[in-house]
Amino acid sequence: MSPDATFEPPASYDRFTLSDRVQHAVMAASFVVLAVTGLPQKYIYRNNRYLDDLIDLMGGLEAVRVVHRCAATVLMLVAVYHLLAVAHRILVRRASLSMLPRYQDAVDAVQAIRHNVGLAAERPRTDRYTWEEKVEYWSLVWGSMVMIATGFMLWNPVATARFLPGQWIPAAQVIHGGEAVLAILAVLVWHFYSVHFRHLNRAMLTGRMTEDEMEHEHPLELERIKAGTARTAPDPVALARRQKVFLPVAGVVAALLLAGIYWFVTFEQTAIATLPPPR
Amino acid sequence: MNRLRPASALLLGSAFLLVGASACAQECLDCHGQPGSTVTFKDGSIRDVTIDPQAWAAGVHGSMGATCLDCHGDKKEYPHPELKAGSARDYTLAHYTTCRQCHEDQFKKQLDGVHIKTIAAGNRNAAVCSDCHDPHTQRRITGEDGKLLPEGRLGIPRTCARCHGEIQKKYRESVHGRALVDGNPDVPTCIDCHGVHDIADPRTTTFRLASPRMCADCHTDARKMAKYGLSTQVLRTYVADFHGSTVTLFQRRHPDQVTNKPVCYDCHGIHDIASKGDPGKGLQVKANLLRTCRKCHPDATTNFPEAWLSHYIPTPDRAPAVYWARLAYAILIPSVVGGMALFVGTDYLRRRIDRRRHLERRHRVEPS
Repeated sequence: MSPDATFEPPASYDRFTLSDRVQHAVMAASFVVLAVTGLPQKYIYRNNRYLDDLIDLMGGLEAVRVVHRCAATVLMLVAVYHLLAVAHRILVRRASLSMLPRYQDAVDAVQAIRHNVGLAAERPRTDRYTWEEKVEYWSLVWGSMVMIATGFMLWNPVATARFLPGQWIPAAQVIHGGEAVLAILAVLVWHFYSVHFRHLNRAMLTGRMTEDEMEHEHPLELERIKAGTARTAPDPVALARRQKVFLPVAGVVAALLLAGIYWFVTFEQTAIATLPPPR
Repeated sequence: MNRLRPASALLLGSAFLLVGASACAQECLDCHGQPGSTVTFKDGSIRDVTIDPQAWAAGVHGSMGATCLDCHGDKKEYPHPELKAGSARDYTLAHYTTCRQCHEDQFKKQLDGVHIKTIAAGNRNAAVCSDCHDPHTQRRITGEDGKLLPEGRLGIPRTCARCHGEIQKKYRESVHGRALVDGNPDVPTCIDCHGVHDIADPRTTTFRLASPRMCADCHTDARKMAKYGLSTQVLRTYVADFHGSTVTLFQRRHPDQVTNKPVCYDCHGIHDIASKGDPGKGLQVKANLLRTCRKCHPDATTNFPEAWLSHYIPTPDRAPAVYWARLAYAILIPSVVGGMALFVGTDYLRRRIDRRRHLERRHRVEPS
């Protein structure tokens, strides 16, 4: 590997900011903890030795419940941060809404399926976010909303029954468990295949993608970057002006959301706290 | 024939014994059969030691030809040797071990029981053999097959009530107790839940955590429950729910782990178990159920008890929200994950095929 004057390192392109990557790492960590502490709880009734062992390994059922709730709190904090970060990106930096699903995504999906079964010659040429990535992102958004809503009901059953039929609590338990299994299997099948198995995609670690990777996975974005029609950095004066409005508003919204989370996790005690056993 | 042989041998044997035995008992009953026969213990207390000859003869010991001296071997001589016991209780506690001569199994079992432990802890009133089975009058309580006779079962709550009177009062009014008096052979008496001889301390966490299985012994027995139109799903539905899953996990892994999650009797009552339709206590009555929930969830409102499906398996009519949620995910999970797997599988194959073709093409273009 001697330095070669004619060797030109492959160009690499920004893909994820540090903030994106930290969000992903924290979210992934909380997801794993939630799955590992949640699944054995869901399947206690199965009377499975290995799941029982897993619970004991993690410090017993009561500890597992507390850890599960802590990880849930972390996930909610990431969700709040993500909401504000996206708002900042859109409102202040005026980034394009590249993650929103479009008609083209459906066309791409159909073409990808057709290509895979040999009905279309070419793979769809995808932009900054492929239809597969959008499926994943919006599944996560939807799944998190479902898990947070049903999690609230399980965490605060007495409060829930004040404004909803009591039967919704066991229904929430079913949905919480079902959605969890769905999310875990989707991650194992969809996410692991597309970013680990098919090709180890390091963009969530390094933040960058090579030219070759861009060529394969985001050809339209690469084309625009090369043509110079990709978005350039926003005007600093306008940026500062919008920032000045955004920060206080975001501060208030963040405070409200954090208060909401605090209310969520401290609302009632009887579902978790250890009351003396009934006599 | 084979089954008859031991029975006839027993009969013959007891006939011989009876002649000799009754002669011996008769000798003792000459005095003890007379009303007013008493002994004075060292502490000055006087105890009536009259034996009703008819009750003795009708009792299981008397009728089987046991002799007085089998138990009271030290009273062979007359006048009897001086009483060493300070009191009647001293005498009982010192002599109950005599039962072991014939009833080894039961004796050993009761050594593990809560009563002996209570005595060891200093409460001398806890029961020993003769407190429950008066050896002079005890009737036969088991049949040839070793199972309790109907009269035997009926007598059990009364026996326990000699000490546990308040509990027996509650039991008598319970759905089980009332049925027992009516001659129902299916309902539990004291010993069906607490055991006999090796009675466990019911105040321990171990007992508490194991209790759902105890109730389930009968309440999952389809043959028994069918008679009364009761569900056999009670354990399954309990274990599937928040409370039961915790309790059963602890029971199988940490049987002494304290938990506030309710077991059957926390909601249904311990001895005063009522039928589900009972207006005052039955848990099918909404107000009663709410009151029960509030024991642990003091802020519970009227909607709250419905969070517990009352041992019902969700159906479209009962607990539709739960039923539809289950059905939705039973369809959603395989279809979404299956769809994903299908795409991933075809994508993988397509890429392999593409790569191979690509390599083959290159091979042809640039022959080595």
